[in-house]
Amino acid sequence: MDATPYAPQRHINDHYDIVGFISSGTYGRVYKAVSRRTPNQPAPVVKHPSGRTIEAFAIKKFKPDKEGAELQYTGISQSAIREMALCTELSHPALIHLVEIILESKCIFMVFEYAEHDLLQIIHHHSLLPRTPIPASTLRSCMYQLLSGLLYLHQNWVIHRDLKPANIMVTSSGAIKIGDLGLARLFYKPLHALFSGDKVVVTIWYRAPELLLGSRHYTPAIDLWAVGCIFAELMSLRPIFKGEEAKQDSKKAVPFQRNQMGKIGEVLGLPRKSEWPLLQAMPEYPNLQTVSMHNPSVNRPVTLQKWYRNTIVNSNYHVQTSPPPDDSALDLLKKLLEYDPLKRLTAEQALKHPYFLGADGTGKPPGSDCFEGLATKYPARKVSTEAHEIATGSLPGTKRSGLPDDSLLRGPPQKKMRDG
Amino acid sequence: MAANYWDSTQAKHFTYTKSELASLRSSLLYNSNNNNNNNANKHPPLPETRHLAIYMQTHLTKFARRQTNIRQQALATAQIYLKRFYLCVDLRKTNPYLLMATALYLACKMEETPLHIRLMLGEAARQWPELGVSETGRLGECEFALISTLRSRLILHHPYRSLGELQGVFGLGTEEQGLAHSIINDSFATDLALLYPPHIIAITAIFLAVVLRPTGGLPAGLAAHSSSPAVSSSAAQSALAGFGGLKQSGPKLGKLVDWLAESKVDMEAIVDATQEMVSLYECWEGYSERAVREAITKMMREGAVK
Repeated sequence: MDATPYAPQRHINDHYDIVGFISSGTYGRVYKAVSRRTPNQPAPVVKHPSGRTIEAFAIKKFKPDKEGAELQYTGISQSAIREMALCTELSHPALIHLVEIILESKCIFMVFEYAEHDLLQIIHHHSLLPRTPIPASTLRSCMYQLLSGLLYLHQNWVIHRDLKPANIMVTSSGAIKIGDLGLARLFYKPLHALFSGDKVVVTIWYRAPELLLGSRHYTPAIDLWAVGCIFAELMSLRPIFKGEEAKQDSKKAVPFQRNQMGKIGEVLGLPRKSEWPLLQAMPEYPNLQTVSMHNPSVNRPVTLQKWYRNTIVNSNYHVQTSPPPDDSALDLLKKLLEYDPLKRLTAEQALKHPYFLGADGTGKPPGSDCFEGLATKYPARKVSTEAHEIATGSLPGTKRSGLPDDSLLRGPPQKKMRDG
Repeated sequence: MAANYWDSTQAKHFTYTKSELASLRSSLLYNSNNNNNNNANKHPPLPETRHLAIYMQTHLTKFARRQTNIRQQALATAQIYLKRFYLCVDLRKTNPYLLMATALYLACKMEETPLHIRLMLGEAARQWPELGVSETGRLGECEFALISTLRSRLILHHPYRSLGELQGVFGLGTEEQGLAHSIINDSFATDLALLYPPHIIAITAIFLAVVLRPTGGLPAGLAAHSSSPAVSSSAAQSALAGFGGLKQSGPKLGKLVDWLAESKVDMEAIVDATQEMVSLYECWEGYSERAVREAITKMMREGAVK
């Protein structure tokens, strides 16, 4: 007898028309889509819970876990399960909105509300010559919305664990949407130490010092470090700590990220016991001493103060038309890039920082449109339209450190997608 | 969500009234019987509902504790997944053993204590010879069905957390705490988790534990024994009687009653949940594992002929 009389209630191709291919990553592929139109019927209107109409969708298709001649169910990856469960449960204006999940023909499709931009794309746009700074008002609103979304996550016992500019979406109306919860997880009384589940979390440039030093029991503070890095990057248009990742060796031991620690040290100096009382308890503490041998400049750090001054001077701010942020931005940055996770600002504290309150003289926090008052318009997301069938011929699930993207390619339709 | 039960999908989508549950279940039976008109015998009869629930509860518990060392929280999660699933799908159309293994497999991932699919299937086949599935693909397929039926609403709130929080409030001793914990484990053989918020179930368990412990009606070690109920039926009955008169009103019970009176906890729910637990323990006395197993085997066999 059959295990379950299972037939999917909804088919992806009955409800969505794929407009094009957006991107691929370790998780799978993302497509842009609109509601399906048929000659006789108008496209159905999909509403956001807040009442607005959702015009376009981003469909995330999970790529297969294993490669094989024959497609079969291999069990859905932990990462996909987390993202599905968390996105279904959570709802906040600064979080990407999940419309539905369709499980069909061994594939998982997560249908999200489409966002036209992301912070990485905005940073790229400003770094094109002639470089222009991200306006101070946009920066402030971005950071405020980002922290509001993060506060919501942390209040709900969720650590994001992969905050970076590419994972922070921006809608055409200037709303920030935190995306990609594939590494996010609940941290309320975990049954095992967080470390034992995923040995490596957060993209290297945004990884907090306690993670670099091998902490087993990290906290939501790791997300705040990443927010600090993003804040700096939005100002200088390049990653503040752009280190090189030491790859895992064959013994599966997690290597010490000496280069990344050095990059942080070049700006902040290496952490000291006096500022971070628990520093000596970190598993990689003995390795910390080796950083200065490889990278002597950590002994004469630039300091955040100087980094900030240089950034402001080199950013082509214009006193009249586009004034730089005031010095409260530096203070906030310092408190986010604080070595000791216990002293680092929480999302709640950061939202109350003077940077968000008094700067424009109104005493009001920034609004929810980060483009408010801007004359410039950012270019729309690139969507390749060459081949855009959503093929269902692959396996569900993914590991974050999955296969190279090309391994998904199987038949002619997918091949075209690679070319596009 | 994780911080706030009242905003959770559990509160919004998976909490029912008793009459809602009854009508969901009867429409499930009605539909399956009507969809099979070609079969004169229609579907084989189900095992007695409560006994079936006890069967699944005890089997999952045995499997989790003895064979795979699955944590209680993941076990509880699996149990709720199954309850929700069988509100949407007729048991007689399924392989209950495959569903049990799949629910555990998914629950372990959800509670961040994953087990490999091959290991899970192997252990399940060892525990349940009736399973009849050897390819992991079947378990993977069943996982799709389970998630799809549950509409990806996989994050759960269990009474254990409330128990932990209330332990200090009521000054529970280790024994009472342990007993309350076991009573919560037993509650997964009832519908309570589909009817009430987790704190109601936790308070009910605490109440029963506090009322019962001083009477000494508990054989030592009974609560720890996974396949037996935590409380004997007669002890549970006397607890229910104690609710009205509070005859054994000790200091702890007095404190509990005062606290409940002052709090905004739904007392009607507590009384009803207590009654549910008492009737579970009554029912447990007439439970025969063998009878249920045979009924399921018969059901699976007749389903296969169809």
